[in-house]
Amino acid sequence: MSFNRREFLKTLTTTSVIVPLTACAAPSGSKSGSSGKARIVVVGGGFGGATAAKYLKMMDAGLDVTLVERNKTFTSCPLSNEVIGGHGKLDDLQTGYDGLKKRGINVVFDDATAVDPAGKSVKLKSGTTLKYDFLVLSPGIDFNYGGVAGYSEELANTTHPHAYKAGPQTLALKKQVEGMQDGDVFVLTVPPGPFRCPPGPYERASQVASYLKSHGKGKCKILIADSNDSFSKKGLFEQAWKMHYPGMIEWVAGAAGGKVVKFDAKSNTASSDFNDFKGNVVNIIPPHHAGMIAKNTGLTNDKGWCTVNMLTMESTVHKDIFVVGDSTVHGDLPVYGAPKSAHMANTQAKVAVGNILAKINGTPSPEPFFVNTCYSIAEKDWGFSVVHIYRLKDGKLVYDTKAGGISPVNMGDEAQLKLQRKLESEYAVGWLKNIMADAFA
Amino acid sequence: MRSSLMIAMAALGLAALPALAGPTEDLARTCNACHGVNGVSVGPSMPSIGGLPEAYLKNVLLQWKSDERYSATMGRHFKGYTEAELTALATYYAKLPYVPVVQPADAKLVAQGKNATDRCETCHGATGGTPDDAETPKINGQWAKYLEMELMKYRNDAVKMPHKKMRGNAKKLADEDVAVAAQFYAAQPK
Repeated sequence: MSFNRREFLKTLTTTSVIVPLTACAAPSGSKSGSSGKARIVVVGGGFGGATAAKYLKMMDAGLDVTLVERNKTFTSCPLSNEVIGGHGKLDDLQTGYDGLKKRGINVVFDDATAVDPAGKSVKLKSGTTLKYDFLVLSPGIDFNYGGVAGYSEELANTTHPHAYKAGPQTLALKKQVEGMQDGDVFVLTVPPGPFRCPPGPYERASQVASYLKSHGKGKCKILIADSNDSFSKKGLFEQAWKMHYPGMIEWVAGAAGGKVVKFDAKSNTASSDFNDFKGNVVNIIPPHHAGMIAKNTGLTNDKGWCTVNMLTMESTVHKDIFVVGDSTVHGDLPVYGAPKSAHMANTQAKVAVGNILAKINGTPSPEPFFVNTCYSIAEKDWGFSVVHIYRLKDGKLVYDTKAGGISPVNMGDEAQLKLQRKLESEYAVGWLKNIMADAFA
Repeated sequence: MRSSLMIAMAALGLAALPALAGPTEDLARTCNACHGVNGVSVGPSMPSIGGLPEAYLKNVLLQWKSDERYSATMGRHFKGYTEAELTALATYYAKLPYVPVVQPADAKLVAQGKNATDRCETCHGATGGTPDDAETPKINGQWAKYLEMELMKYRNDAVKMPHKKMRGNAKKLADEDVAVAAQFYAAQPK
């Protein structure tokens, strides 16, 4: 038995005590006192879109909710680096959309090709047009392959997987790592921020090192050619590398010539304006921007990201379109307008849902509360996290600097440090199971 | 079902509109990502929190905020909440039904666990489902992985865990009994 607002309202509408409340929840001018006929289309069934669809239906069963998604199976990016490192299976990161269907959500496997913000409709590849009262866009990211000259989608799908969308490319990269000989070099290039999963590349370097070290290939090198001059959880990663993979991982900052701008597949060499990075395996992570549908709808800024009202997640460009997840820059929040993580997409979706319901019911916008938790696993039993809390302060959304932050780098003694890292490596796995269920079940 | 409806009615009668507007429910919705809808977790390392005693939840939440109790992650979250919000969350989750989770159990390990948990009975009850006071959590049907990790915290002197009696008893468990004790309670439906 759930104990949520819907149950409250159900209880309310079946008793006489609450007549004034019902009236209050449906002021004149709102849609007929019931949300029953409001049509909401959600484009993109990742963590953001799935959460939005589920919570819309869960909080108001009368809504007409349609989720448009390309793939019948979702694969989580979080914990996919662990698959490359041999610490997890891709199957465990996958789920379908039956859970959402069972909730009464109309799940359509199709490609959303165009949005008409004025006519309030979404066109699908199959030819169908879906009309909406509110649209939730959660298209994730697309890659700007041109950002690294010589790299291409074709290379990504054949010889040089970026593996920065989890799925077949994850397994392809894993296979390449498995094929490395002792003494070989793995080159990993990091695009300029913002990119999805800020600690992702560094966790990947750790996982590749874990695999190589535990397979008698400890003389291999992992070279991270970075477009940026610092990175997420830097102190935690550097500590882990020193403890678990001494001498194996080298990081080249953008200012030190790490910003890769071209790639030659024949010689397996990635180059910045100053350096050539030649590897036995070269893993290019190309620059990103918001998913194409957002770009084509005119929702993106000059850098390619969707700007939103920080308190509601409604697009600053078109009303009644809410944008959540990796495709957004969330105002001026650090870092790069809030981290692009599954947890952030989940929390943004819930805020968007709260505001859509408020619009439908003519009630005030709820006070926004955003939370982010992001775990990385650098080695078996060695996990750590960063937490962000974003709250309303003097009418503005701010990062609460008294809360959040990264796991402690140094602790009183080794036993304490080991306990902390062990706990968070386990929490990472539990977190994924729960957030997958929170979005898809 | 009946009881939660009655609670709903009672809460409604007393608190009227502001409670319905739901700031606590809005906050709680963010907890779902890690602890499950209605506080029922599906991740073995994360505890179910729905239906735990209010006094216990309030203690733990406030102790994490003030760093009186060690946590790997939660303390960093709760510094971003006010004491009033944490108290309201404790009340909110305490009113939800406690749902023991069904999880894989090895009969032999569960039997070993039963033998290892005599010292736990006084406070948590024979199956972990009947704690002797309001500040003691139910542990029947809690995730085994989580229980095992909590025991690891209590057994590690380097971290701050405020409950002396619990710490003393956790440390008296033999190393090999930690996991089986967790298995035993996890397997108890009531």
